[in-house]
Amino acid sequence: MPLVVVRLWPSCPMLPRRATSTMSFGLEAEGLVRTFGGLRAVDDVSFQLAPGELLTVFGPNGAGKTTLLRMLAGTLRPTAGDVRVAGEAADVAERAWRARVGVVSHQSLLYAQLSARENLYFYGRLFGLKDLGDRVDARLEAVGLADRASTPTRNLSRGLKQRLALARALLHDPEVVLLDEPYTGLDAHASAILRDQLASLKDGRRTVVLVTHNLGQGLEIADRVAIQFRGRFVALEDRGSWDAVGFERFYRATLEETQ
Amino acid sequence: MAYLGLVWTVARKDLLIEFRTYERLAAMGAFAVLVGVLFNYSIDTAQVRPQSIAAGLIWMTILFGGMLGLGRTFQLEQEDGALSGILQSPIPLDALYLGKVLANFVLLALIAGVVFVVFGAFFNLRFAGSVTALVGVVGLGVLGFVALTTLLSAVATRTSMGESLLPVLVFPLVLPVVIFGTTATGRLFAGRPVAEVSGSIRMLAAFSLIFLVAGAGMFRFVIEE
Repeated sequence: MPLVVVRLWPSCPMLPRRATSTMSFGLEAEGLVRTFGGLRAVDDVSFQLAPGELLTVFGPNGAGKTTLLRMLAGTLRPTAGDVRVAGEAADVAERAWRARVGVVSHQSLLYAQLSARENLYFYGRLFGLKDLGDRVDARLEAVGLADRASTPTRNLSRGLKQRLALARALLHDPEVVLLDEPYTGLDAHASAILRDQLASLKDGRRTVVLVTHNLGQGLEIADRVAIQFRGRFVALEDRGSWDAVGFERFYRATLEETQ
Repeated sequence: MAYLGLVWTVARKDLLIEFRTYERLAAMGAFAVLVGVLFNYSIDTAQVRPQSIAAGLIWMTILFGGMLGLGRTFQLEQEDGALSGILQSPIPLDALYLGKVLANFVLLALIAGVVFVVFGAFFNLRFAGSVTALVGVVGLGVLGFVALTTLLSAVATRTSMGESLLPVLVFPLVLPVVIFGTTATGRLFAGRPVAEVSGSIRMLAAFSLIFLVAGAGMFRFVIEE
């Protein structure tokens, strides 16, 4: 199925489209649909991302962003359509496939009663990682938590917990990283630190999808942007030279035209 | 071997957290002691011989106490989305289930020990049978109950009724464990030979195995969406 790009704002700054036919894609979604009863939570979403690209998906509450992310993570079976990582189709029943994806959510996905190090060890063992001690130390160091390794997670601030959640998601060195509203509940300082950590994910190897309704934070680190509304991608564009104000105008106009 | 390592990883994490917080052990242990005290005052030992009803009281206390703790099996996973974190890992879901069963078995076996001590002390029970056979009966009965309750706890957690639904689901199905566990324990208390309880032990083993295999097989349909 060809990539569908809906342009609703003719004057938006655009970069030339990539030649998609010969590229090796880090992450592909093709005709993704998910229904819950009569509701189409995700409706025919398709995109292709090269390794190293970061796509930010914007949209109002209830647009289907988290449902889309869960299908990309392989934890929710699509009603129709496919997800592929490096050309390989995801299979919800094939649990080993999940090691290729790392997820950061607005929840930490951590155990409050375990220390930062114990949480990473636990998840590392679930992924069957070798050299776990070195990996855990390196990840704690990378997110600036080496000196808090023995602190119970319940005693960490929200910002530190999110950094630990990022360390957990990257512990098994996934090819695809999915971020679901990672800035929720963070103050400005903690958000800035997390943004720098997320920006460091763009190392040319990993493909990243960020879901947020915060336009400024989402645009800042994006290579491409999508707007999801009532399950559909109503826009999928290169980030281009948009500034926050220009993009907000585009976002509002897109939603108004779609309604 | 790697599979057993995953089972142990899950069980170890649950036990580590429990022995730090004592949330479930405290609730189940306090329940066991209080029930022992209440039964002590509610039974007229001039009319009823405690030795003859002790097995039933002990098993009821283990099961009701177990419901308090085992109903919260997946509470840890719900607190900050940890279940989603586990589901995003490649661990086979039957290994997750068996890890949970192992941790719950250790906790309820400890509580069963407390129950026997409490009832022995309050009712002056004399035990004349084979201790090894009693350990086997209690171990198998607890394993069957835990295997069933761990699965149904996952079911209850996924519903809006939560823990209140669990007894309704568990008690009708746990009846074989009650029947054979009580029968075998009563006979062992009465000093009957092991040969007289071997049938009950085999039935307990069979039901425990059925609950374990069914639980491991059905768990993924319960826990995944």
